[in-house]
Amino acid sequence: MAGRGPAREVRVESGSGCLAGRFSAMASPCEILIETADTDEARHLSEVAAAEAWRVEDKFSRYAPDNVVARINSAAGEAIDVDAETASLIDFGNTLYELSDGRFDITSGVLREAWKFDGSDSLPTRETVERVLQRVGWHRVDWQSPTVWMESGMEIDFGGIGKEYAVDRVAQQLRDVSGKSALVNFGGDLAVTRPPTERQGWRVGIESVAEHGPAADKVIELRAGALATSGDARRYLLRDGVRYSHILDPRSGWPVEDAPRSVTVAADTCTQAGMLSTLAMLEGENAEAFLRTEQVRHWCRR
Amino acid sequence: MKDRNSKSVSAALAAATCTLLGSGASAPVQAEEDPNWDFNSALLYYGEADDRVEDISLSFLAKRLLVDDRSLSIGLTVDVLTGATPNGAIRQDVPQTFTRPSGDSIYTIPAGALPLDDTFKDTRAALTVGWEQPLGRLWKTSVGFSGSKEYDYLHLGLNGSISRDFNNRNTTLSAGLALSQDSWDPVGGTPIAFAPMLDVGDTSNKLGDEDKDVIDIVLGVTQVVSRRMIVQLNYSFSDNSGYLTDPYKFLSLVDGTTGDTLTRTPAPGAEGPSHEFRFENRPDERTKHSLYGQTKYYMNGKVLDASYRYMTDDWEIDSHTVDVRFRWPLGETSYLEPHFRFYTQTAADFYRISLVDGDPLPAFASSDYRLGEFDAITAGLKFGWETDKGNEMSIRAELYQQDGTIPSSLLIGNQIGRETYPDLDAVIVQFSYRFSR
Amino acid sequence: MNKKNLGILAVMATLASGCTSMGVEPWERDILAKDEMQLTTDAIEAATDDHIYFSKEASSGGRGFGGGGCGCN
Repeated sequence: MAGRGPAREVRVESGSGCLAGRFSAMASPCEILIETADTDEARHLSEVAAAEAWRVEDKFSRYAPDNVVARINSAAGEAIDVDAETASLIDFGNTLYELSDGRFDITSGVLREAWKFDGSDSLPTRETVERVLQRVGWHRVDWQSPTVWMESGMEIDFGGIGKEYAVDRVAQQLRDVSGKSALVNFGGDLAVTRPPTERQGWRVGIESVAEHGPAADKVIELRAGALATSGDARRYLLRDGVRYSHILDPRSGWPVEDAPRSVTVAADTCTQAGMLSTLAMLEGENAEAFLRTEQVRHWCRR
Repeated sequence: MKDRNSKSVSAALAAATCTLLGSGASAPVQAEEDPNWDFNSALLYYGEADDRVEDISLSFLAKRLLVDDRSLSIGLTVDVLTGATPNGAIRQDVPQTFTRPSGDSIYTIPAGALPLDDTFKDTRAALTVGWEQPLGRLWKTSVGFSGSKEYDYLHLGLNGSISRDFNNRNTTLSAGLALSQDSWDPVGGTPIAFAPMLDVGDTSNKLGDEDKDVIDIVLGVTQVVSRRMIVQLNYSFSDNSGYLTDPYKFLSLVDGTTGDTLTRTPAPGAEGPSHEFRFENRPDERTKHSLYGQTKYYMNGKVLDASYRYMTDDWEIDSHTVDVRFRWPLGETSYLEPHFRFYTQTAADFYRISLVDGDPLPAFASSDYRLGEFDAITAGLKFGWETDKGNEMSIRAELYQQDGTIPSSLLIGNQIGRETYPDLDAVIVQFSYRFSR
Repeated sequence: MNKKNLGILAVMATLASGCTSMGVEPWERDILAKDEMQLTTDAIEAATDDHIYFSKEASSGGRGFGGGGCGCN
């Protein structure tokens, strides 16, 4: 999925007791549900949201040929200075690397060269993975804000943080410009701008990962905060009855074993929810225990 | 992360996110899992003094909440009734014998006793199904089906309602319509109006089954008065037509001077009534109007629930009902709720104690105590608590007492002093359990 | 519909329209949202009472559709 992808337009439609602004961004269907009957207000807020979503996408997407990420990744051993926003994202990635003992690593994107999660049974060889693994490792990066230096061949990929970060940025903007409650939903990663007044909470269905059975298994009323889901519903490999999730452990280059099919976490911000659900997945069979110890609201499916 | 104090992962993550996003962060997360199913179950015992009616009933109500504020409810109740109920005849200083409704046998009441018919054993099952959903932002609609079956009675009904919010959702106007089609298939058949009670085996006084149709309309307004008080006002209209008589009740045919019931002898070799009785007859139309008002008021954790209802109909019955409940929380997880209800009604214009032999027959007559003039008081206490799993249980016990008056104009001769209103004393005990899944 | 009932409806209509100034802002509905502040707190208890009083008295309903549906009155 390269280039601009789907057309950049914003549609305003009526929802259930609200208005919905819809657009595509970061390879996901995005929607902003707003507690209003005013179509003009809904359009304005949706356009503010879409503009911010596309700004974040253009700035941090690894597919763009000329953004800050492209400059870092094509530096070939040269030091690159980055702007404040990029610096704060890299700082965040750094903190998460230490917090997770290396399980979360923003340099692990290159592993996609070895792994293609298309539902087939084509696993890479040990040698292929080993070779790509040489180019992975945040400990190899020299980061002194605002300067970043990487070995040639290494890449920074904000894919694991980007969408949740965009949700939180959009929620902040909407909170600043409007007193109405809105639900920001980028493909299942979502946040509420402020508590709704016409309902108990925004009703969110958590999709069941079962191949058969009802579409929405649980309904959650979100009054404040955010939800994010990590899961392998659509991207995985299947060989000899073993399911290889697309969550790769950067320390081994191989998928995490015995990870839940999906983990949904509720937290104050979408970024926190997203990180906690990713960290839980990386814990494999200990995902639930990890989330319980962290005392976060979570829903796992195995 | 294994050797690190795991608590600090969330905390460290929160701090890192705060740095990343800046301090314009949102409020702490509030995410409540909507239970898919809400179950409510209850076991009831109702018992009247003096060997009158006893009822045990088991109820279930299941409500499934769906996305977008839609819901499906299914209710099932099973009742088992036993005991005896006044049959409409007056007391006598001698024993009285009656033919059972089936016409197959007789029963005898001792001298001086209130005549009760104890063939009153029945099992009833009732089912309700309802669907509720919003239409857009301010409208809500519901439709439902109700049905019940007992040995001699079938009820089938449909209902629907619609409501709309105004004034920032502080005012709600609602309208509802219910249609019922009921049918009677009484044991032994429906008696012909004012037909005499006959000997065992003689069914010439009985016909087949009968129908009854009911149309109910309710118009209501609900208003939020303040942060702690809400008020509802409803106007109801009810139109009942068809067979409205009680097929098992009759009146005693009495002498115009003494007021005593005329005696009779059954045919030779047969068993039958010892006195003259005539089956009752009510109009085949009844229109009712009610005005109902309710308020709920919150005072520091305690809730007052008070309501008043006025009813008037074209049978000349007027009634007033005052109902007050006061919920008193005990700690965090339980409450006590005393309940008091006062009810008073005037008699139907065709309510009388007996029929006088020789007088022209009235168009309608019934001695059913439920159409007479009486006051009723309910006093009860409910105790509710939350279990460890967060489910709710409650138990309530109430006393219900009816105290009626027979106007002296309705009493003749020896009836004065002997005939008193069949006052009702009943106890109500109900245990209920609510849980969600 | 007789004069008395028209009067009742007129009172209700007046109340409904005169209620425009009464009420609370959406964020002040916390207490009203509590379970114990709903007009009907326990559906089974309400239905049970409706049924008992329908069987033993000559009036029914008020809050909603009035009990009934049985061969007891």
